[in-house]
Amino acid sequence: MNKWFKSGSPWIWLSAGGVSISLISVVGLLWLIASRGLSYFWPSQLHQFDLIDENGVKSVVIGEIYDREEIPVSQLAHLNLTLAPEQEVLERLLIKTGNRELVSLDFRWLLSHYIVKDQTPKDLVVVERRTNGNFYGYIDSIILDGKSVPKDRLAELLSRVESFQEKIDELQKSDIGAINHQLERLRLKKRKYQLEDKLTPEVEAQLSQQKNALNISYEKLEKELLAFRKEISRDQLVMRAMDGQLVTINFDYILDVSFNNNLNFLEKLSVFFSQVGGFIMDDPREANTEGGVFPAIFGTVLMVLLMTVIVSPFGVIAAIYLHEYAGKNALTKLLRIAVINLAGVPSIVYGVFGLGFFVYMVGGSLDQLFYPENLPSPTFGTPGVLWSAITLAILTLPVVIVSTEEGLSRIPSSMRHGSLALGATKAETLWRIILPIASPAIMTGIILAIARAAGEVAPLMLVGVVKMAPNLPLDGNFPFLHLDRKFMHLGFHIYDVGFQSPNVEAARPLVYATALLLVTIIVALNMTAVSIRNKLRERYKMLEH
Amino acid sequence: MISISPKTIATGSESLMTTPLDLTNLTPEQVALDINGLNLHYGNKQALNNISMAIPKGQVTAFIGPSGCGKSTLLRCINRMNDLVDNCHISGEINLHGNNIYGKHVDVAELRRKVGMVFQRPNPFPKSIYENVVYGLRIMGENNRRRLDEAVEKSLRSAALWNEVKDRLDESALGLSGGQQQRLVIARAIAIQPEVLLLDEPTSALDPISTLTIEELINDLKKQFTVVIVTHNMQQAARVSDQTAFMYMGDLIEYSDTNTLFTTPMKKKTEDYITGRYG
Amino acid sequence: MDNLQIGRHISGQFNEDLERVINNVMHMGGLVEKQLTDALAAVNQADVALAKQVLSNDYQINAYEVSIDDECTRIIAKRQPAAGDLRLIMAVVKTIADLERIGDEAEKIAKVALESFSSQQQDLLVNLDNLGRRVLEFLQASLDAFTRMDCDTAIKIHQMDDKINREYEALMRQLMTYMMEDPRSIPQVMTVIWSARGLERIGDRCQNICEYIIYFVKGKVVRHTTAEDMKNL
Repeated sequence: MNKWFKSGSPWIWLSAGGVSISLISVVGLLWLIASRGLSYFWPSQLHQFDLIDENGVKSVVIGEIYDREEIPVSQLAHLNLTLAPEQEVLERLLIKTGNRELVSLDFRWLLSHYIVKDQTPKDLVVVERRTNGNFYGYIDSIILDGKSVPKDRLAELLSRVESFQEKIDELQKSDIGAINHQLERLRLKKRKYQLEDKLTPEVEAQLSQQKNALNISYEKLEKELLAFRKEISRDQLVMRAMDGQLVTINFDYILDVSFNNNLNFLEKLSVFFSQVGGFIMDDPREANTEGGVFPAIFGTVLMVLLMTVIVSPFGVIAAIYLHEYAGKNALTKLLRIAVINLAGVPSIVYGVFGLGFFVYMVGGSLDQLFYPENLPSPTFGTPGVLWSAITLAILTLPVVIVSTEEGLSRIPSSMRHGSLALGATKAETLWRIILPIASPAIMTGIILAIARAAGEVAPLMLVGVVKMAPNLPLDGNFPFLHLDRKFMHLGFHIYDVGFQSPNVEAARPLVYATALLLVTIIVALNMTAVSIRNKLRERYKMLEH
Repeated sequence: MISISPKTIATGSESLMTTPLDLTNLTPEQVALDINGLNLHYGNKQALNNISMAIPKGQVTAFIGPSGCGKSTLLRCINRMNDLVDNCHISGEINLHGNNIYGKHVDVAELRRKVGMVFQRPNPFPKSIYENVVYGLRIMGENNRRRLDEAVEKSLRSAALWNEVKDRLDESALGLSGGQQQRLVIARAIAIQPEVLLLDEPTSALDPISTLTIEELINDLKKQFTVVIVTHNMQQAARVSDQTAFMYMGDLIEYSDTNTLFTTPMKKKTEDYITGRYG
Repeated sequence: MDNLQIGRHISGQFNEDLERVINNVMHMGGLVEKQLTDALAAVNQADVALAKQVLSNDYQINAYEVSIDDECTRIIAKRQPAAGDLRLIMAVVKTIADLERIGDEAEKIAKVALESFSSQQQDLLVNLDNLGRRVLEFLQASLDAFTRMDCDTAIKIHQMDDKINREYEALMRQLMTYMMEDPRSIPQVMTVIWSARGLERIGDRCQNICEYIIYFVKGKVVRHTTAEDMKNL
């Protein structure tokens, strides 16, 4: 035994154990969020349960099985169930029943004890709607322009509605949005003239002329829009719910109608992918509990890229100064220690700092200097994507500085000397030789910075993230990139959906799906940076003698 | 007995070799570098003691001596690479064209263009062969592609590397062998047409064959440049140099033409060093 | 041996190599000296047996020359000697060549002892013996100087060759007279002349050895220089 200890193998086992634990936790985490998150998109069987409760009342429940759990019989004593004496636990199912207009809760617990019949009828459908969540039931009839038509025209009518819907979205978002933007700018222009006391009658006339022109085209577009709206609200779908009630749903509210029980595996797979695609590409609906997360993805990526663009030059410049130019004295050492310690400050502190310094002080001053016409409504004096990026840039600055310095100190002095001996100045040597060779190390710093920044939520809640942003920070209106806008973020989205939503049960799979997406995006960003770094490394590999 | 004066025969036999320069009495045109009363301190430690010597133009001058004798330090003084060392103080002067390179208004980068240097280990930049050679020219602001091409070919030919690399100028210089890398570094140094080329143990990291190639190259280079070489390898100094300076503990012990120094050194320290005896 | 300073090399192997070469040169010198002594004694005492012994011993000298030559070549190849070491090797290589020639001359002299001389002709041999004694002295002095690498002695004894030359010329005149007086004795006289010529050559070679000593110690080539120049060293 003693010999075994001396041989050193306990330490090998110990370290191997450490590695395995980390590996298992990573794989476990990914597996958990992947399985929970992805099952959200898988079209599940639609069940019709026939129930008889303890009082002998019959009822029918239609829905998807969301969860099952076992509860001890003792907890159900008050129900006076007639059970076999040896039975200690009962199964309980969580059913998503939808149909919010009929029942107050779209989730419902069912004791399996009550279930007398469990069917999965082929003609049971789930209707995905724009509002009020899913509707489960049977298609009763389809009404086209006030007349009943055969049910097989459903697909045709759905695609018609979809194409109109696309046109409406296009019209609303780009055309009408652009006109609104221009109108707002005109208003601001006028206000600016007013503030500067330059509002002469000619200018005013000119402005109002422009405004009128815009208003005219706005009205024209609005008419078009109304026409479209009328078109898509032409047809109705009449559904029979689980209790036999008939519910009429206008087609313009319907996103999709799916016969889940009637799908084979491939069809399910295609539904799965279209669901995933919708999740990634669509805007959220119903207080973020339904629909996609595209604005959050966009906001996260944009913010991280902005942060990278800000932090890289600053970090590199700071590292170069510390390593190449600063004298080797106590002050430099102190500075270095300060930088390293900066990495240990809790991120919420950065959030507070960002809010106090950037948003209120810097942003407030910017507003007064450059955007007085907007006041009292702030432009930059309010949380926004720029301030978020800058705050995170400061948060990740130490990482970039430390790894860049590390890289600089690893460069063999022969490179420096070789360049200097050819008559290059120190700056030329830095620019042409040192920085390219240090680029893999700089990339490592950036990778670490991205990894840290993409996962950070707390400070962002103070400096720019919102639950629901009306516009993306990037659009077709000048100046295209609106750094003053608030944005959505996947991390915050998870928090919001998981803990702040009115319907926590409904949102839980969404939390997992969003988490999976966040992880995927961070991994993708990191992989991109890693592959760039590896290319650079390959280029400078042979340097290490 | 044949009645030719013994004196004539003696001088006749000497004339088979090139006449050595009288190093103590060079005309100003013959001098490339005039080192005068040079002292160098690293902190409190004196590394060079009052060195004075004249390095002749268009010749190869070798510095030999045991490790730490100050030969590399002296070499680095000539293009002011010692400026990079903290705590290094230099007094005395080194004159290039009669101008002290340690004078007040000397542009060090400009000086280093005139006095090129090649280091112990080949240190090509992680760029293409082409970019390595034109590095110095680009620093000087030359961007005309045609002129750069010409300079690359000329320098690589001078460095006896052209035939080996002419088809792969755009490949990384790091893919070359050690000897090729060192010749590339020499080509890089001569691309900017320096007057003096300093070689700091240029072959100590190379195999014997590469070493011979470099030695042969040095012999060609002295037609265009004044070459100063530091070497640990005495045989190399004997082979490549016209003048040899023996240094010991920061002192210049003996400085004379190589033929004399390696057959009949004047000082006992020199003799002991070059014959491998305990000093 | 002091001037040699062989023992101070950092490489002990090199020390041993050089010492072995020097020792071999000394042995060879001793052998050459003995051969010359024996040859002269054989001539003097008309000792045919001794003369034959001299003739048969010459191969030893040749063998020494070849082996020392080899050794020196090896040292040059392996050690690349410089300065003093290089001069020592060069001096040794040239010295052994001269010693080998001296050995050859001794062999020729010994052949004289095999000739039969009439009693009147015996006094010819006495003169030869005198010259021989002087040359032997010079050889001994040269070898002695070589052993000690004594430059001063070498410079001093370098002049001995002049005396030998004069004596040789005197002997020549005497032999010439002899031949004119008695033409029948010409074959014997010619034999004596060849011997005398050989002794004179040995003197020249001893002078060369002295020059090598001076070259080794001073690093100056004194061949073909005047006596005054040598004194100014």
